[in-house]
Amino acid sequence: MKAIVNGRVITVTGQTYEKATVLIENGKIKAVAPDLPIPESAEIIDAEGCWVTPGLIDCHTHICNFNEPNSMPGMYDGNEMSGPVQSHVRAADAVYPDDYAIIPVREAGFTTVFSTPGSGNVIGGTGVSIKLRGHTAQEMIIPDSQQMKFAFGENPKRNYGARKQMPSTRMGVAAVLREALYKAKNYSDALKEAETDPSKAPEPNFQLDALVPVVRGQMRCRIHAHRSDDILTAISIAEEYGLDYVIEHCTEGYKIRDVLNEKKVRCVIGPHLTSPSKFEIHGRILENAALLNEEPDITVCLTADTGSQTSVLPMTIGMLIRAGLSFEDAIRGVTINPASVLGLQDRIGSLEEGKDADIAIFDGNPFDSLSLCRLVMIDGEVMMNTL
Amino acid sequence: MIAIINGKVVTVTGETFERGTVLIEDDKIKAVGADVAIPDGAQILDAKGCWVTPGLIDCHTHICNFGEPSTNPGPTWDGNEITDPVTPQVRAIDAVNPYDYAISKVRNAGFTTVCILPGSANVVCGSGVVVKLRDVATADEMVLPGHEPMKFATGENPKRCYGQHGKSPMTRMGVASVLRETLFRAKVYSDKLKAAETDPSKAPEPDFQLDALVPVVRGQMRCRFHAHRSDDIVTVMRVAEEFHLDYTIEHCTEGFRVVDALKAKNVRCTIGPYLWEPSKQEIWNKKLETPGILSQAGLTISLTADTGSQTAALPATIGLLMRRGLSEQAAFEGVTINPAQTLGLEDRLGSLEPGKDADIAIFDGHPFSSLSQCRTTIIDGKIVHNTL
Repeated sequence: MKAIVNGRVITVTGQTYEKATVLIENGKIKAVAPDLPIPESAEIIDAEGCWVTPGLIDCHTHICNFNEPNSMPGMYDGNEMSGPVQSHVRAADAVYPDDYAIIPVREAGFTTVFSTPGSGNVIGGTGVSIKLRGHTAQEMIIPDSQQMKFAFGENPKRNYGARKQMPSTRMGVAAVLREALYKAKNYSDALKEAETDPSKAPEPNFQLDALVPVVRGQMRCRIHAHRSDDILTAISIAEEYGLDYVIEHCTEGYKIRDVLNEKKVRCVIGPHLTSPSKFEIHGRILENAALLNEEPDITVCLTADTGSQTSVLPMTIGMLIRAGLSFEDAIRGVTINPASVLGLQDRIGSLEEGKDADIAIFDGNPFDSLSLCRLVMIDGEVMMNTL
Repeated sequence: MIAIINGKVVTVTGETFERGTVLIEDDKIKAVGADVAIPDGAQILDAKGCWVTPGLIDCHTHICNFGEPSTNPGPTWDGNEITDPVTPQVRAIDAVNPYDYAISKVRNAGFTTVCILPGSANVVCGSGVVVKLRDVATADEMVLPGHEPMKFATGENPKRCYGQHGKSPMTRMGVASVLRETLFRAKVYSDKLKAAETDPSKAPEPDFQLDALVPVVRGQMRCRFHAHRSDDIVTVMRVAEEFHLDYTIEHCTEGFRVVDALKAKNVRCTIGPYLWEPSKQEIWNKKLETPGILSQAGLTISLTADTGSQTAALPATIGLLMRRGLSEQAAFEGVTINPAQTLGLEDRLGSLEPGKDADIAIFDGHPFSSLSQCRTTIIDGKIVHNTL
């Protein structure tokens, strides 16, 4: 048993205590409250003067699949750019426990990340949630956490259009996606019919098979869309096929926040630390996260959208706070909101009894570049401690 | 006349005044102190307890020459003339666009002067230019003439840009030999020019490339050498000493491995960028501790974001460095007086002292905290950004 005492405890989903204790047993949070009786056998961690938060979560990273350290030309595993429809490839097959990014990101206070294929393809494959611990992919991967990545806009156009292949336009991108979903729907329906009449079984198709949970609404889709028109195209196709979806980047979301609110859209905003290097991100403003959070029914997560640079996401969020984001929305954006995007809100993302003991301790406001993460705990195990 | 009152005034080269005044007359600083008399009629700028610092300087940017906003693929990049590994004749000033996206972003973050350097694709990349981030219509109104440095690059970039096409340089040996040969030829050319001063028949055949290198081999133009790995740093020092160049090391990523060698020659270093993945081998050993290690060893270090608009995030990044061994004083010097010295402008810029240019930034918290914001930027006594 461990007891983190004397810290300023930010539970995120409940109260913030100016001084409280977090009790940990068997990898889980046992209790959070001021004046908790501490069992004699408990190992004490004194967080005097520090902020205790849930382990941070970045739900849109390329940790492992953008291989670090890298060389030029490199060894990227992020985009299987051999065809615009790659529903059958899995980020889980590119999880490398010794990737350079893991330690810096963990030592910055992150305990869980979603590692997703890049946006080079219209259908990029499945991403997977990993905890930043363990020496095999199996230990890191959170079971049943796969979600399907889609991409709209410039990236697929650039990658295939330049080779005179489809898609070379936004029309083409939408058509490629619609066609894949249309085929997957027919395939899924045939599978369903085959449950009673085996003669109706479709010809096995490995790509379509991976899309069956998607068109049945059982697997969440993570849709890369920066420009407002791309976001709206994504929403209309997702609704047409009854998909469970999240908008990734959502760079021009502030232009259509009324629509996003009406549809109760979840969005993952970022990255912010890049130069405006392609047309679809020219509309990026630091105020976007604050403006979307003003709407009651939009759920906002924050991402660095890279490998090791997730370690500077907290500092970047400081800049978003100075662009109007509240501290409460900021901390939710890297804890409970991404946990809910990942379908893991019952396990991680807040300091509550029964949840995984994934905890970060900072010696100041976590979003201040002058603060340092001093302790990281995953499943009750101390991974780093400079307290 | 403008009087900035009630500020925490960080002069950098002198005292820090917890409650001080900075008096500006025309485009210069007239007085700085705790008890400065404010003349009648002066425009009062109440800093309300904010931090008042010299206008920040990033002495290694690609503002304008990496053209922002850009497209992918983009016709907007003007940073690397990758047609020949030796292009001393190209000049960054010819790619200065006063309407570039980065300028107002970086200015609003508290930066008043930047050096724009060509990229590092070539061994000899061309000359950089120092600009003030004034709100003006033409490049010439931005430039501080007479402070152009020559940019050189060692390591992977030239190897990648030429070697992969089967051209020289393909190896680090090739990079060094391209560099040496060019300097050798420039030296010969320069000596002939000198001889021709008394005997015109000794004049060399005019050569536009070598002409640009004459001030370099005469030690009159500072050389800015891209070098990440410790072996590249040491190679630069070897060649630069051989040709008696006035030089700085740019990036100096593995400088922590050769502190003694750098210290022996008191080499000036510009360290950064940090907001970058280890995407090529020469930066695999990038550490946030390096600026602290080098400055504690007594070296003069400047800090850079090495980009266009992302210089706006340099102050917050410096916060990360301060938590890893860089002292607050060295942090301030790293974006004020030290880069001013690297640019040869320490008499005009980089500190709050009477007689210096009135280039000033005001922050509503610690300038290197990501939770602070630059509220006012003043260039040459003109308020170019103000949300106080």
